[in-house]
Amino acid sequence: MADTSLPAGRSARPLLSGRGGEHLLVALLALYVLALGLWPLLRLFAEAFGANDAGEPLGLIRDGLAARATGRALGNTVYAAAGSVVVSAVLGVALALAMGMLRLRGRVAMTFLILAPLLIPSQIMALAWIELMGSSSPILGPLGLAPGPGQTNPMYSAGGIIALMGIEHMPLVFLAVRAALAALPEDLVEAARIAGAGRGRILVRVVLPLVAPAAASGAILAFAAAVGNFGVPALLGIPGRFPMLTTLIYQRLNGFGPAVIGQVAVLALLLVALAGAALLLRAVLVRRAVPVDRGGRALQPLELGRWQLPVEAGLWLALMVMAVLPMLALLGTALVPALGVPLTPETLTFDNFTQTLWSNATIRRAFANSAGLSLAAAVISATVALGLGYMAAQRRHGLARRLLWLTDAPFVVPGTVLALAYILVFLPPLPGLGVSIYGTSTILLLAYLARFLPLVLGPATVAMAGTEPALDEAARIVGAGLLARIGRITAPMAAPSLVAGAVLVFLTAFNELTLSALLWSSGVETVGVMVFSLQYEGNSTGAAALSAASVGLVLLLALTLDRLAGRLPPGTLPWRS
Amino acid sequence: MTLRTSLALALLAGTALTDPAFAQAAGTITVYTSQPNDQMALVVEAFNKDHPEITVEVFRTGTTELMTKLQAEFAAGSTPADVMLIADAVAMTQLKNDDRLLAYADAPVEGIPAALIDPDMTFFGTKLITTGIVYNTTMVDHAPTSWADLTAPEAAASLIMPSPLYSGAAVIHVGTMVQQPEFGWKYYETLADNGAVAGQGNGTVIEAVARGEKAYGIIIEYMAMNAKAKGSPVEFVFPAEGVSSITQPVAILKDSDNPEAAKVFVDWQLSKAAQEQSVAQGYFPILAGVAQPAGYPPVEALKILPADASVMLSEDQKTKQAFADLFGG
Repeated sequence: MADTSLPAGRSARPLLSGRGGEHLLVALLALYVLALGLWPLLRLFAEAFGANDAGEPLGLIRDGLAARATGRALGNTVYAAAGSVVVSAVLGVALALAMGMLRLRGRVAMTFLILAPLLIPSQIMALAWIELMGSSSPILGPLGLAPGPGQTNPMYSAGGIIALMGIEHMPLVFLAVRAALAALPEDLVEAARIAGAGRGRILVRVVLPLVAPAAASGAILAFAAAVGNFGVPALLGIPGRFPMLTTLIYQRLNGFGPAVIGQVAVLALLLVALAGAALLLRAVLVRRAVPVDRGGRALQPLELGRWQLPVEAGLWLALMVMAVLPMLALLGTALVPALGVPLTPETLTFDNFTQTLWSNATIRRAFANSAGLSLAAAVISATVALGLGYMAAQRRHGLARRLLWLTDAPFVVPGTVLALAYILVFLPPLPGLGVSIYGTSTILLLAYLARFLPLVLGPATVAMAGTEPALDEAARIVGAGLLARIGRITAPMAAPSLVAGAVLVFLTAFNELTLSALLWSSGVETVGVMVFSLQYEGNSTGAAALSAASVGLVLLLALTLDRLAGRLPPGTLPWRS
Repeated sequence: MTLRTSLALALLAGTALTDPAFAQAAGTITVYTSQPNDQMALVVEAFNKDHPEITVEVFRTGTTELMTKLQAEFAAGSTPADVMLIADAVAMTQLKNDDRLLAYADAPVEGIPAALIDPDMTFFGTKLITTGIVYNTTMVDHAPTSWADLTAPEAAASLIMPSPLYSGAAVIHVGTMVQQPEFGWKYYETLADNGAVAGQGNGTVIEAVARGEKAYGIIIEYMAMNAKAKGSPVEFVFPAEGVSSITQPVAILKDSDNPEAAKVFVDWQLSKAAQEQSVAQGYFPILAGVAQPAGYPPVEALKILPADASVMLSEDQKTKQAFADLFGG
């Protein structure tokens, strides 16, 4: 007698077992991905394609494209993003070649500094460079190199934006080229050497062509990131009168309110078109890349001999200028009592720290909000990544695999676009409930969840795809339910990558500005927003103190993780790979 | 705890339970304000010394942005804001005309000049803030004394001013200046032609002048005076032609879910204790009998440029547009 035909036999099985449970899980995940990411974005684009006030179809797009401000912001965005990619590519490739091919001392520390821009949010980088390059610079001032009185800070310009976004996104190129170098077989270099090629020739004719696709793909990522960057243009471009698409959206929305959402949706569409075109190009590039036989011994680091010291000194100098000096300048400004006062032992004060961090209830609340929101975003994202990763990578569920693609949408569109979509969809009261989540911490949390899921989903699916499915099969055969299998078998195996991904979500969300700047409200201030608004109310010393404290906190977390490096799978910490 | 204090506490608790007015005036209120974060932190601290039963949450940004935020929240259904404490009466009047403000007929307004109080008792001036000239003392040899001095090519070329697209004080200042027959838009055109620039709020002005990026700035007086007191190399001038002034009015929103506590906050804002704290923070007081901050001229000696508020209100969008055309958005 067939057991399965008996209804009683079915109801006795635990909930969420069998294919039905899996379908239910995937349906829930699909709802999550669609409601949080896709639906708001689609609504925004639909808005952009709508009629204008005069009722002309596609009027908004036509008006938007015809406006002088749009053309200028679009031109500036393309110009600055393209310029910054040159900076990112030159720095990223050079540093990756140095780190990947040379035998250097202190490589972990160097790599950590190279990747520091990933940990330091762009608005804080911008602040730090404003302090470093300004006429009251605590570093350049004593050396007599600061701009003279009456001269505007050179950072407030297209050049400043290009340089800074270039440094900010350099790690994207660096990581791509590093990974390509790590996979480069020694045999090829050996063969070239036997054929009589010198070092320079090997570099130019063998190594560079082989890492070029990786460098290009990293550079395109850097372009997409630069197009969507908000922190740098907000702090350098607004005072420098160099409007870019992200800042134009911010200014329009703050100056005129949600009434102009249709107009700014057109700007958002332009942003997405730029980033989308870049990513499409990258996909084509990746597909057309010539495969290299990745077998064989990995590349052996080159001995530098008498060049060891000069090369190391040069690298340290470059890293000091890029990563350390700006932070010292920021700290210097945090320690003076008022702007324009030089930093001396007599003027040094900790007032800015006590005032901003201790006695200001709003800032204390901002720290609590950012910590709570990032923690919630990290935990929820890791949980979702576990379920979705399991269904897609281990069970190879068709719909789940398609969802993986869709989760990338809110991550690759510029943050400003996502925030705009959230205002559009979540400003009116939720259907059925009659309350709006606009102005509450919920809207921030949902936006963080939509945006940062790929940070943990990516590593998690890679880890799960690499695990043996036999254990899961065995558990299924002995009748273990879906949740039991995920919880007892998949979760422990994927735990290191889930934890690492969750930490990455936390660190990124903690100082987040782009989404928060448009979605925050009373009671739900975040650290990123407070830095930004202190700077704008003329309290640069306070902004510097708060930035220094939050960067300190993030570095502390990163170093704690570093201490645990031995227990994490290789590749978890980017600076240790 | 001694017997006496516990008795006193029990009595207090008894009062609290029996007196409905007292019981209601507790809980949390949210204040939307354009006053800087660090100042508001001290205001809340002082308020809580007198009224520990009321928790105050502060949302701070420029007046223009604040108004936008509020409009968005009205569109979303409701706002968390209970009290508005913003730079200028123009924005307040807009809210009043939209029927967003609660009339508070019993507000304690004795001692406050009638000109600072809305006749319908919906908003009340809390301080006097004037806009004048700041300059960097290491860069300027001959201190400017008048608005006209700023039009000189070498001064205008190194001048920064706040934009009405961000600052409520700038809305009033530009609105006042263009109403003066001797200035008008011609004044701003000259400034723009000679290279003057607009920042965002007043914060960006003190920032640029204190750092020495610009030699001159148009700014509200307390920001310059406070920076000078903390050691920045700046000096403030009350121009000979007169200053524009704003009153930082406070009001209760109709939408408030805790109007009783909001009234307590408004009462306190108009009290002598609050006025004395304002003075300590560098503001001119509005209450008779409270002295101005050290180094400030007496209020009676201030020459305030005349301005028609109703014209300013009706021309608000036009003014912002004209300014943006000259100095950029």
